[in-house]
Amino acid sequence: METYFAIAAILLLAVMGAPIFVVLLSLAMFGFYIADVPLMIVSVELYRISDTPLLLALPLFTLAGYLLAESQSSTRLVNVTQALIGWLPGSLSIIAFITCALFTAFTGASGVTIVAVGALLYPALKQVGYSERYSLGLVTTSGSLGLLLAPSLPLILYGIIAQQLGVGPSFTIQQLFLAGLMPAALMLIMLSVWSLWIHRGKNIAMQKFTIEELKAALWAARWEIPLPSLVIGGIYGGFFAVSETAAVILLYVFIVEVFIYKEISLTQLPVVVRKAVAMVGGIILILGVSLALTNVLIDAEIPTKVFDLVQSKIESKWAFLVFLTIFLLILGAILDIFSAIVIMVPILLPIAVAYGIHPVHLGIIFLANMQIGYFTPPVGMNLFIASYRFNKPITELYRATLPFMAVLIVALLLITYIPWLSLGLI
Amino acid sequence: MILFHKLENALLYSVVIGLVSISLSQIWLRNVHDSGIYWGDSALRVLVFWLAMVGAMVASRETGHISIDALSRYLSPLWRKITATSTSVFSASVCFIAAWQSYLFVKDEREFGDIAFANIPVWWCEAIMPVALFVIGLRFLIQLFFPIPQAPEQDT
Repeated sequence: METYFAIAAILLLAVMGAPIFVVLLSLAMFGFYIADVPLMIVSVELYRISDTPLLLALPLFTLAGYLLAESQSSTRLVNVTQALIGWLPGSLSIIAFITCALFTAFTGASGVTIVAVGALLYPALKQVGYSERYSLGLVTTSGSLGLLLAPSLPLILYGIIAQQLGVGPSFTIQQLFLAGLMPAALMLIMLSVWSLWIHRGKNIAMQKFTIEELKAALWAARWEIPLPSLVIGGIYGGFFAVSETAAVILLYVFIVEVFIYKEISLTQLPVVVRKAVAMVGGIILILGVSLALTNVLIDAEIPTKVFDLVQSKIESKWAFLVFLTIFLLILGAILDIFSAIVIMVPILLPIAVAYGIHPVHLGIIFLANMQIGYFTPPVGMNLFIASYRFNKPITELYRATLPFMAVLIVALLLITYIPWLSLGLI
Repeated sequence: MILFHKLENALLYSVVIGLVSISLSQIWLRNVHDSGIYWGDSALRVLVFWLAMVGAMVASRETGHISIDALSRYLSPLWRKITATSTSVFSASVCFIAAWQSYLFVKDEREFGDIAFANIPVWWCEAIMPVALFVIGLRFLIQLFFPIPQAPEQDT
């Protein structure tokens, strides 16, 4: 009885806004206390962070992403895409989807896409004739598009945790990156086709294609254009290990933004570094305490109990996937993506594997759900960032994002029920 | 206070510089000279741990930690004050207990005297843990009186 009371109290404090790492740490300590294990074990568990070689990629990619976000790279990215495909009918939406996805892949879905890219695109979309509501919906939902593309941090974090658990068929981070390609493309294509369809016959201004403009845009962005190929060559091509690629990209971005474009001054640099490290430090700390909590849960045989319960209620893989989708959508609306990954993957992965779901496929499903969770009311993070940035009431954003959510949920169902989309390339 | 912030920042920058320079030199040595620093990878892993700890310290000073925060938007100012106070006191206590336990752990490890890498004892690598947890806990208490400034929220 007291146990349940204590857990309920901790969860209440969590909803009241206690930091996630404190919530997990207190649950872990409480669990060890009940099991009569000396609390010192928490430190042993926390120090296990230093046993995880792949973790190195997280801070390096985060630093590179923050440097990109602080510079004018978003403007150059939009300009290049616009010069490339701006002459196509209805292309500004497509440009918006692509640039948001690329930017998010590099910067992590921390909301910076809405602030850096969305803020550029929102007035442009309205100017060429898209409705206010559509433009607002687009920039809000696109803030998390691209989560499935390398080198997005949530994708790496899922890989690290799933590999540590070692359940089911083994896989490499490279394979996980490959797996994200087709689902991400599917989302982009479906959003683009839908956007062209609803705007058919409407008067949306187009841009004339001029080779001069394309040249100018390419020239302005000449130092950043190699970045995607560094990722493709380094990670997809297997030339470097993931953390090596991260280090090389960080060095490259640092030289380009600080010394060539000179958009981040040497006095500004420490502030950017602090922000990035505070963010990633917080995430790694959450990962560390969740390692401890996972062990508590395993000792208490909780995953086995959840597993038995789920298996007694749900027979088929397909029914399980339905429940998984509903569960993850709700989870994504409440928890931020990093906490959701570190807390739920250790519990969900063994169950999913037992239903015959490949760990890589589960990762893609998990992140695709979380991506939608970013703009699910009431607490989706994108909604608040967009509301703040564009000075719109949040209820208006709820309405604006709904049609986009519908399209992405259809994409999500396809990704969930057609494993080939995730596993075809690996 | 200011001095401590400077010290903390200096520690953070050194960890970042160490992390980046060791990983880059490892790549250089591995790919160009077919060699490497033999303790390099262990050092990198420990530095990631330090980065997490120092980053979390700085987060509790500047940006705040990730939390759910689903309720506070719907609460009256008085209730907001009450929930903020209780979560801060709770968080501080949890951190202090964890800090004390990790202090005991580090003390044990010191007596044990294992070497992590390149003559550096394991307990040196772990020593940041009690310090960081204690500072984070302290900041939860300080937050009660001086909240971290947040971006103003849009009224709905």
